Amino acid sequence: MARKRDRLEIIHDILLVIRDHRGVVRPTHILYKSNLSHPMLTEYLDELKTKGFLVESTDREGKRSYALTEKGYNYLRDYGVIRGFVDSYGLD
Amino acid sequence: MTLLSFSPPWFYGYDVVLEIGFALTALIIAFFAFKIFHITDQRPVWLFGISFLLIAISYVIQSLLNLLIVTQTDTFVCNALKLPYISLFGTYGIFVHMLFMTAGLVLLTYMSFKIEKPRVLWVLLSVALIAIFSSVSPLHVFFLLSTTFLAIILWHFISNYRQTRQMATLLVVLAFAFLLFGSVHFLISVDHELYYAIGHVLELFAYMLILANLYVVLSHGKKT
Repeated sequence: MARKRDRLEIIHDILLVIRDHRGVVRPTHILYKSNLSHPMLTEYLDELKTKGFLVESTDREGKRSYALTEKGYNYLRDYGVIRGFVDSYGLD
Repeated sequence: MTLLSFSPPWFYGYDVVLEIGFALTALIIAFFAFKIFHITDQRPVWLFGISFLLIAISYVIQSLLNLLIVTQTDTFVCNALKLPYISLFGTYGIFVHMLFMTAGLVLLTYMSFKIEKPRVLWVLLSVALIAIFSSVSPLHVFFLLSTTFLAIILWHFISNYRQTRQMATLLVVLAFAFLLFGSVHFLISVDHELYYAIGHVLELFAYMLILANLYVVLSHGKKT
């Protein structure tokens, strides 16, 4: 049975999906790749927007897409260190 | 009542240097936690940073107090502050040290419960501070409570190690085990001054392990 992902790991996975698509991606693709339910993904995307990890934009056809911010890229860059520190002290 | 009265004469000055080292280490950990909080916005990381900052401040105060007493400048400071007795200066100083250290340890203990009820934190802190400041022997109660809090924190880190089984996590367990043993020695040091020095040496091992953990986290994290 697969191990349950914690919050930090889910955020990492969502940001990774966006980065791997040249930093901009539609929500359906994140849903497909991140292995989350729709309500859960919506909750995470709202949180990530509020905290400045990504920005939402809408094109002329009204389709939404998400792009990584500098804070989002920094999170991915420092994830190994963050993970190590949080795991060391059980801060998750 | 001054803290230095527990120190054996041959240890004068060494304790000051060690306490500055402990303060710097705690500050580094707090700084690192705040840096991670800035990226992740995780509340536990922020609380962890605050707790180490409080512990760092308590060491700075302890170190300054001991430095003033060793260099005998406490009389001068006492006159400047218009305090009637030199012992009052030491008493005020040690109470501020106990206040910050207790707050730091209470915060770490609260975090180990993994609950989000700030009321629990305030109850723990209030009970601990009332117990210390209303006691006829505040230092005994302070060391006793510190030992109890460190035992609870250590238990949390042991549980964490059993889940992760990583080298970095083991270093934290060992560090807090040394801090716990150090606290037991400080408790005895109120009556036997040699234990004051032993307590400092045990704390030195603890903070070296905390720094070793940070090194492992940084070196391993950058590889991944």
